[in-house]
Amino acid sequence: MNLPVDAPFAPRPATNFAAGALAVGVHALFLLLLVVGVSWQTQHPAPVMVDVWESLPQLQKPQPVPAVQSPPPQPKAAKPPQPVKVEPPPKPALKEAAPKPPDIALEKKKAEAEKLKQLKAMQAAEDKALADAARAEADAMKKARDRELAEQKKRDLLRQMEEEELMQRMIDEDAAREARVAKDAEARAAAGRRQAELAGMVGEYRNQISAKVRGNTRLPENLQGSPEVRCAVRLLPTGEVQSVKITRSSGNPAYDDAVVRAIQKSSPLPLPADRDARAAFVPELSFVHRPKE
Amino acid sequence: MNPELDQDLSLLNLVLHASVPVQLVMALLLVASLMSWWFIFIKLFALKRAQRLTDSFEREFWGGGDISAMYQRVAAERDSAGEMARIFEAGFREFMKLRRQAGQNVNVIMDGTRRAMRATFQRELDSLESHLSFLATVGSVSPYVGLFGTVWGIMIAFMGLSSVAQATLAQVAPGIAEALIATAMGLFAAIPAVVGYNRYTHDIDRLANRMESFMEEFSNILQRQITTK
Repeated sequence: MNLPVDAPFAPRPATNFAAGALAVGVHALFLLLLVVGVSWQTQHPAPVMVDVWESLPQLQKPQPVPAVQSPPPQPKAAKPPQPVKVEPPPKPALKEAAPKPPDIALEKKKAEAEKLKQLKAMQAAEDKALADAARAEADAMKKARDRELAEQKKRDLLRQMEEEELMQRMIDEDAAREARVAKDAEARAAAGRRQAELAGMVGEYRNQISAKVRGNTRLPENLQGSPEVRCAVRLLPTGEVQSVKITRSSGNPAYDDAVVRAIQKSSPLPLPADRDARAAFVPELSFVHRPKE
Repeated sequence: MNPELDQDLSLLNLVLHASVPVQLVMALLLVASLMSWWFIFIKLFALKRAQRLTDSFEREFWGGGDISAMYQRVAAERDSAGEMARIFEAGFREFMKLRRQAGQNVNVIMDGTRRAMRATFQRELDSLESHLSFLATVGSVSPYVGLFGTVWGIMIAFMGLSSVAQATLAQVAPGIAEALIATAMGLFAAIPAVVGYNRYTHDIDRLANRMESFMEEFSNILQRQITTK
């Protein structure tokens, strides 16, 4: 029996490659989201040391203090007294005498006229003299005032120059002082940072040493409380323990022994790589041990 | 003393520093995830195409044309005609053959036709459902695989802790983080696989229902043709 030639079969669509590419694409997208979207880094903040200052040093360049301008001499204000008003020349008080009854004798009239004239002349001379005197006086005063003014001006100018010079000197001094202060502060801050760093490192390694020793300590049965033992440990630069000496006993000899054994067992002790920080440990480390924290 | 303290927790570092069993688990899960997405896309394209072809065939079939002309056309391009068209083609061919051989015996002709259509239907259904079991497996198993990697990684992290006198969180945290990546990868592989599996079984069920109804209706049409002659 022959098999039928036209056996049905299901063709497979030729989309496999596209599907594979899409699958890879989905994964790449997801990976990208993970890498970009999630921040995987954790930043440890650097130790910060803070200096407390009583008064802040001025950081920016100080504005030149507005120069205390000495009030410009005001010669105008100090107006000298007005030139003394010359008294008005006394009015000839002869008016009442002038109109004479017409029926008076000619001589008399004449004499009177003469007299009047004389009087008038006298009056004029007197007036003139008075005016001259007044003018002279005014001139003298004016001259004196001018002199005074000129002098004043000169003095003012001198004072002003002096003041300016003083100001300049003060500003210079201020700037110099500030520069000095800033430099000092910077140096102190750098030293402080270094100090803080060292202190942090020393503290960290102290903790590590304590932890290591504590982990190796076999506490005696009869121990009560958390007595403190002080030891002087001689160390090699590699951290190897050379000798342990009790400087202050806890009062419990079994416990003291246990601590000494624990320190010897913990050799080598962890030491910082930094040379300056290591100075706190090598060659001798004073070590305080408590069984519990 | 504790080098992990300042380690940066980048994704690559976490994966590279993981222990070997955890790395194996991660690799396995990555492959499973890639495969399941591949099948998801394959099935997506195949099902979309099947639905489109079924729609167009039904429209043509019920549009009232000549059945033998349609058969000629479908038989000529059977590969690209679609599942329902192939069922139609198999049934009609069997019907023609049996009619030539068995004469007027209605039961024999109809039984043979039905059997031929059912066989094609089963084959088509099987090809539609291929790979779905893989999706189901990935969906149900990969969370457990990821969990296994995580448990292993955490065990190793805590074993490392036992050699240190003073336990700090910084000593276990990287280990736990890299171990948890395995769980994350397991879930990443499982969730799309489960969603795809449910979606595609539903789609295939609907397609199968349409084909079965078509088979019944087509049998009725053929039977009517025999009896009216």
